[in-house]
Amino acid sequence: MKLFAACYTGLQKRRRWLVLLLLLLAVGSVWNLSRLKIEESIVAMLPDGKSRAAKDFELLTKAPFARKLIIHLRAAPGAGVEGLLAATDRLRASLPGELFSNPVSGPKDMGTSALMSELGDYMPLLLDRKELQQIADQLNPESVDASLAADVTQLLQPQGIALKNKIRRDPLDLQRFALQKLRFLNPFPGIRVDKGHFLSRDGRSSLILADTPVLMTDAAGGRKLLDAFHRAQGQLPAGISAELLSGHPYTVANAETIQGDLRVVLLASAVGILVVFVVFLRSLRALPVFLLPLFSMAAALVMVSLWFDKLSGITIGFGAVLLGITIDFGLHVYFALQLGDNSRPQLLQAVSRPVLFGGLTTLAAFSVLLRSELPGQRQLAVFAIAGITAALLLALLVLPHFIGKREENTGLGRANNPASLYTRRPGLRWFVLLSWVGIAGFCAFAAQGLRINGELRQLGYMPQELQKAEKRLAEVWGGGRNRALVFASAADLDMALQRNEQVWQSLVEHKVQDESVSLAPLLASRQTKRQRVDDWQVFWRERRETTEDLIRAGGQKYGFSSDAFSPFFSGLDNPPKDLDIETLQRWGLGRLLDNLLLKDNNSYQLVSLVPDRPELISRLESELATLPGVTLVSQTRFGKELSREIGIDFSRFIIFAGLGVVLLLLVLFRRLPEVFLALLPVVTGLVVMFGAMTWMGLELNLFNGVASILIIGLGVDYGIFMVCHDRHKEYLASSRAIIVSGLTTLVGFGALVLARHPALHSIGLTVLLGISASVPTAVLVIPAFQKKAG
Amino acid sequence: MLKTSLSAAISLILFMVAPALCCAESTDLKSLLNELKIASAQTRTLSSRFVQEKNLAIFSEKLLSQGRFVFQSPDSLRWELLTPVASGFVLRGSRGERWNSLNRELERFSVKDNPIMGIVAQQLLAWARVDLDWLEKRYHMELITLNPARLRLMPLDPGEAGFIDYLQILFADNRRHVDEVLLMEKGGDSTLLRFTDVQLNIELPENIFSPPEF
Repeated sequence: MKLFAACYTGLQKRRRWLVLLLLLLAVGSVWNLSRLKIEESIVAMLPDGKSRAAKDFELLTKAPFARKLIIHLRAAPGAGVEGLLAATDRLRASLPGELFSNPVSGPKDMGTSALMSELGDYMPLLLDRKELQQIADQLNPESVDASLAADVTQLLQPQGIALKNKIRRDPLDLQRFALQKLRFLNPFPGIRVDKGHFLSRDGRSSLILADTPVLMTDAAGGRKLLDAFHRAQGQLPAGISAELLSGHPYTVANAETIQGDLRVVLLASAVGILVVFVVFLRSLRALPVFLLPLFSMAAALVMVSLWFDKLSGITIGFGAVLLGITIDFGLHVYFALQLGDNSRPQLLQAVSRPVLFGGLTTLAAFSVLLRSELPGQRQLAVFAIAGITAALLLALLVLPHFIGKREENTGLGRANNPASLYTRRPGLRWFVLLSWVGIAGFCAFAAQGLRINGELRQLGYMPQELQKAEKRLAEVWGGGRNRALVFASAADLDMALQRNEQVWQSLVEHKVQDESVSLAPLLASRQTKRQRVDDWQVFWRERRETTEDLIRAGGQKYGFSSDAFSPFFSGLDNPPKDLDIETLQRWGLGRLLDNLLLKDNNSYQLVSLVPDRPELISRLESELATLPGVTLVSQTRFGKELSREIGIDFSRFIIFAGLGVVLLLLVLFRRLPEVFLALLPVVTGLVVMFGAMTWMGLELNLFNGVASILIIGLGVDYGIFMVCHDRHKEYLASSRAIIVSGLTTLVGFGALVLARHPALHSIGLTVLLGISASVPTAVLVIPAFQKKAG
Repeated sequence: MLKTSLSAAISLILFMVAPALCCAESTDLKSLLNELKIASAQTRTLSSRFVQEKNLAIFSEKLLSQGRFVFQSPDSLRWELLTPVASGFVLRGSRGERWNSLNRELERFSVKDNPIMGIVAQQLLAWARVDLDWLEKRYHMELITLNPARLRLMPLDPGEAGFIDYLQILFADNRRHVDEVLLMEKGGDSTLLRFTDVQLNIELPENIFSPPEF
């Protein structure tokens, strides 16, 4: 590449301009960074557009209680219910309103609420034909006699005083059919109401639900929220504990873990790079090489901020780490210029070809990400492409001017090259080749079992204490937060209610209504209510006389007065009242409505919660797909959907990146054997990485999937350098450059293995595995093949 | 003029005498409650028969029933009707069983899950233990007669006051247990319980707080 040699010669007397250019780049980057809008949301790493996973994710965020703060109070053995309820009230009162809005510790006392006394009046609107038939079956002398006998027994007991009026209005206890509708509203199966509080069945736990203006992804706001909670929690009496469950503790734990991890990782990396520097470079002339990634990142930031309005924090963080690899270009230029025997323009001309092609293959690999379904990956692609391009230009045009004069050869020299070693010890070559075949073969076999995991929660740091708190909540209150959701949507409420009824019908047909939560049994569409009222009136027109006779006869037997049940019969004549949203709110069910009936500017959505069992979901899915305006979303299926999309994305990436890389290698080498040799490090790196991951029980996820691009980019670079090394007459010190660049990558990325955060740890482990295989393959296996071929 | 003077004199007398009457009643009530508290503290077990008379508008005749009531400190109860329909419940702490010989069904309950049974159990335990602290919180008490000791209790809780007008309690001469409870409802219905054969601190059969077998 004569161009770079000519540029070097031309710019030799204009270094001040280069310094000015670098300063401008740094200033521009800092200015850009200050006005950049950074999003700290995982949404950037979720598929967008019209993909199924993107739609599912949007709907999952609307899940009841998904955005609520849940405070779970527990009483230690020995602490009574009264104490627990008093502590619940005290804690609720001490939560600051600006962070905990609308705190609720229970509905009004259900025993005395209008709901229990009025529900029976709405039976004409609530009971369907099946339930009317059950009533009809009960209208016979034996059943009526049994009901009235039970009434007498109840009236004789002390509780009879409270039940007298209810028995007069409903001697046959028909209200039980209406009461059954309420059980389908309870998202927490383990809940009961005591003195207006949510209380667990065992009386040892209570709940406070609240809203908050703090976004789930806001780590700083989350910290304030947690601090406020801990202050309020500190006032609880001995024997009562409280836990806050929401997305915020995870956000804060993740942010704090990442901050802690970064301290450890940066320290480990700094120490590692210092060791690499001391062992292999030992010269201040090499310092500009280490500045190369910083300037590349500055250029990438400028470019990417021109392209996007908002940047994902994940893109910047991950991208900055990725650009650490650009140090490799500088190292190759540095070693070639420092250790080569020829003139600087000659050496630059020789090294520019592998550096440029190495950079181009890495660009090809990252450019495939431009077509990713994940917006964060597309941003990452732009960031990486801009950074790598800048790094290539800086390494070939700017860096040679700042490396300084050539030093005498130190450390590894030509004599220590593997090629020279194989000449001296031919058995070593066979040992290397056989070992390589064995390891690669074993890993290729194991790699077939590699699994892809789209479970988002596993990418985050889940402190054990929080996991235990979640488990305790599920154990005490039931799995209300982990159910699949069915949305019935329409532009008007009545249509949405009709669709919700169809969903409910389907759940009944699958016999899962008892495990589901839905408004459908209680809040019916106009059409259904009309139908039920008609059925109710026809029913009693046909049976009223018989029923009156039966009750009169039975009543006489037990001594009831002739007008004892007149409230029941007059109730049958009353015109039915409408059961609407206002009624439900008056009954104290407003909070529940807010969670199960969502309204935006254009539509109404009714949410049903169903058990998230794979076999049920797959059956329901095909059935509900035929209903217009109905969508089923399941956490389990979302994970699978995401895994599938990651899998498709990853396969597409591997195919396109592979094709791009092979094409570039063909252009560069024009000979198939050399192309194959250049591909050895990348293929070995990937195979060992996937094989070892399977063997260690690790799965491919969003983050280590992207990290594998790095293995492709770097692995191909190593291959190109080693093959080029053999073709050039100039000594380019490629083995040494590869070992040093591999080591810098290992200490830079591999240090992430020390991180506690699962995403960072998985990136570190992936890179550690891949690079540990790529570098020896490039440095030892390629020369072994070359020798063999030669 | 005479009328005015007379009414003024009566008012003056009432003005001067009423506080004294009030204080006298208050003092008597307090000392009676203290007496009851001391006497009830000695009760470990209580076993009695009772007759229940219910005057309810929905029945054409008075409902008479008989049964037995057993208590063991601190929180075990047996309330059982023997005639006309064998039915009742037992309570051990917060859990118990109730039964009804008509349907021959035994139903387990917890006072936490069943608010009505919770209130009933609380009331019966309070009366059996003569838990005056609890009763004073829930009722306004009036002393009707000191000998025999007869109290009238008006519910303070609006829910309870919605259907109960007052309770009238007659204590035994020795103040150690309740002899009679009259419950007047708002609509005029009433329930009278008369306790007989009251035995205090006797050894109770082991299975007395277990439900009968059907």
